[in-house]
Amino acid sequence: MKLPVVFVPLLIFISLQSGCSPTVKIEPPDKPIVINLNVKIEHEIKIKVDKELDNLIENEQLF
Amino acid sequence: MKHSLSVLVLCGLFVSILLSTDVHAITLQQAKSTAVVGEQTNGYLGIIKPSVEVEALVKDVNSKRQQHYQRIAQKNGISTEDVAKLAAEKAIAAADKGHAYQNKQGEWQIK
Repeated sequence: MKLPVVFVPLLIFISLQSGCSPTVKIEPPDKPIVINLNVKIEHEIKIKVDKELDNLIENEQLF
Repeated sequence: MKHSLSVLVLCGLFVSILLSTDVHAITLQQAKSTAVVGEQTNGYLGIIKPSVEVEALVKDVNSKRQQHYQRIAQKNGISTEDVAKLAAEKAIAAADKGHAYQNKQGEWQIK
């Protein structure tokens, strides 16, 4: 069986199309993802220390 | 004879108790209100007018303060110095009128 000449570029086109099907590549970063929560932790510590010091300076023997 | 000896010993004890309490005759609050001592910026008490009893008082108070600062610091994972500095800010802010404190330049001031 002989293909008509018009089909030849069509076949080439289709095979090329499937050959480079679009892929979305998501690469994970090589460094670990860091979320900085220091601000919140520092704030919490400050509140806790604040409270303890408030109690401490009430002590007439010390302050 | 035996009786008078025990009375003598008791008297001796009494006198020694009187003398030992005399060393701590000045209280912290008295020392503060007369500006003999003042609050430093490092969280510890400083001596303005030195004397034997004042030095003993300040040494005692400061070592107790340090223990408390250390306890709070360890509990919260921060340095003792940071706790002491925060305490200084509070103590200076809470000081009564007539009490002495150190300003940021390290000079003594009366509130």
